[in-house]
Amino acid sequence: MLTQRRKLAWPVVALAAFCCVVLFAGFFAPYDFATQDRDTPFAPPTAIHFVDAGGTFHIRPFVYGPGDSGQSAESSAQGSDQPYPLRWFVLGAPYKIACVFTSRAHLFGVARPARIFLMGSDGYGRDQLSRFLYGSQISLLAGLIAAILSVAIGILAGGIAGYYGGWIDELLMRGGELFLALPWLYLLFAVRAALPLHISQWQVFLLLISVMGLIGWARPARLIRGVVLSAKERNFVLAARGFGASDAYLLRRHVLPQTYAVLLTQITLLIPQYVLAEVTLTFLGLGVGEPMPSWGALLSSLQQYSVLSSYWWMFLPALLLIPLFVVFYAAADALQELHKSVPL
Amino acid sequence: MEVLLRVKNLDVSYRGAGPSRHHAVQQVSFEIGEGEVLGLMGESGCGKTSMALALLGLLSEEQADVSGSIQFRGEELLSKERSSLRAIRGAGISLVFQEPELALSPVMKIRDQVAEVIHAHNDCKWERCRADAELALARVGFSDVRRISSAYPHQLSGGQRQRVVLAQALACKPALLIADEPAASLDARSQCEILALLRELQRELQISILLISHAPEVQASLADRLMVMANGRIVERGPFEQLYRNPSHACTRAMLRTAAPASVAADMDFEMVT
Repeated sequence: MLTQRRKLAWPVVALAAFCCVVLFAGFFAPYDFATQDRDTPFAPPTAIHFVDAGGTFHIRPFVYGPGDSGQSAESSAQGSDQPYPLRWFVLGAPYKIACVFTSRAHLFGVARPARIFLMGSDGYGRDQLSRFLYGSQISLLAGLIAAILSVAIGILAGGIAGYYGGWIDELLMRGGELFLALPWLYLLFAVRAALPLHISQWQVFLLLISVMGLIGWARPARLIRGVVLSAKERNFVLAARGFGASDAYLLRRHVLPQTYAVLLTQITLLIPQYVLAEVTLTFLGLGVGEPMPSWGALLSSLQQYSVLSSYWWMFLPALLLIPLFVVFYAAADALQELHKSVPL
Repeated sequence: MEVLLRVKNLDVSYRGAGPSRHHAVQQVSFEIGEGEVLGLMGESGCGKTSMALALLGLLSEEQADVSGSIQFRGEELLSKERSSLRAIRGAGISLVFQEPELALSPVMKIRDQVAEVIHAHNDCKWERCRADAELALARVGFSDVRRISSAYPHQLSGGQRQRVVLAQALACKPALLIADEPAASLDARSQCEILALLRELQRELQISILLISHAPEVQASLADRLMVMANGRIVERGPFEQLYRNPSHACTRAMLRTAAPASVAADMDFEMVT
């Protein structure tokens, strides 16, 4: 059991660290997600130097500032010879922590007119790193809420189907199969088409997560039904029934708690799936719109062939998703092994 | 003596694959009076536990067909609604399951597991139920109730768990206790303790007990009358002493005579002295 615990440790630490960064995106991001800099569209990732043109070594890393204002975007992105040292804990654009506290402190920054774009900038000259961090808030939140929604419906449907059996089981499970068979992408298009063209960002966000969550209930429901089928046959459940416990009580106190380990694994598996679904939907223009960043929105500029072929750094958000998903799946795997090693 | 439970022509048949059926209990009839201890003996697989589950309506319709008549205090249980049957389970008839380690939830504290029985039958707050649960635990002979009640089942010994299950069963003061192998999974010493406790509680609370056990020494120490079951039928009945001295059915003979005779005899002497 100890080895399983240990196996769970690194994904949990990694996820916690990532969540911290995302939660305080405003602090870690050098710029606001909507600040445009029309002088530097599609700037490549800013190079960070230690050695200047004269060959002198600097302990404090620096970036080169923009050249003269008359120069083209291409050469200004390359920078002039003027070094701007990288500064830690600087004051910059104001942002809100947890929607309440306003702060202006950022982890790092450079003095104007130099800009630091660690992941490059997009077509409007907005910092991709800042947009990625702010976008993580939306994408992860969408994934998390949709996963919880799916699993909540799954508990209800799977619990009732497994516990009562008979026609209600048949009805719920056939209904679930119908949901699995639905071409949900086109369904979402249809739902979006039925709504007015301009709806607020929050409405779009809610629509996105509710559709993802509602459509995905069938898989967790099946899983939970299976666990409930065996859980309700446990002797202590029969014993509690023999002492006069009601069905609702038995389900709540004795049967469903046996499914929690499976549920936790399931949520961990569903989050990256839903994050990916959000990316897909937003890529197709069904997600939150400009200027709100989300991972799908960040990647949607790749729809243009010119961007695809010329600006490789626009792929960076997609590459960053890979280690994140690996961590999620590692956590799910470790959770599953942990609960296998602790039989209830 | 007033009749508490009257069972007539009870049949339990399990559904197998296809049309085949397994008749676990066939044409069983018996009566239990108020304050009486009726012993039920039989080899494993002869239908004792099936009958116990059928008496409380714990066999689901998909699993098994139950027919015949079960009258508790003159009320027919087989035709009763599920919800009204619930009021009888635990408060009118209680079932002590065999294997207490499986009959207790591994993730709930002992106090809560006893309290849930009380909660199911009394419309009172959980704090009240928990306080009553501690009283019920004290009644089954726990001296350090505080420690036991906040423990989890795996922290207790087999004998302690058996007492906890007994406390659950007796928490709502039922009129009839069905004890399914109450001492089977225990070592000799705990077995004696549990049997002594059962006897004491039975006298104190004046409850009836249907004592299911294949062990003659258990039956000898508690049962007023004895029934022997084989292949789902009652094959012989009478006082223990009579069956022990001249068993008429081969099954009775096999069951009573295979156990170490010395311990049976010793137990019988003890019973006669007290």
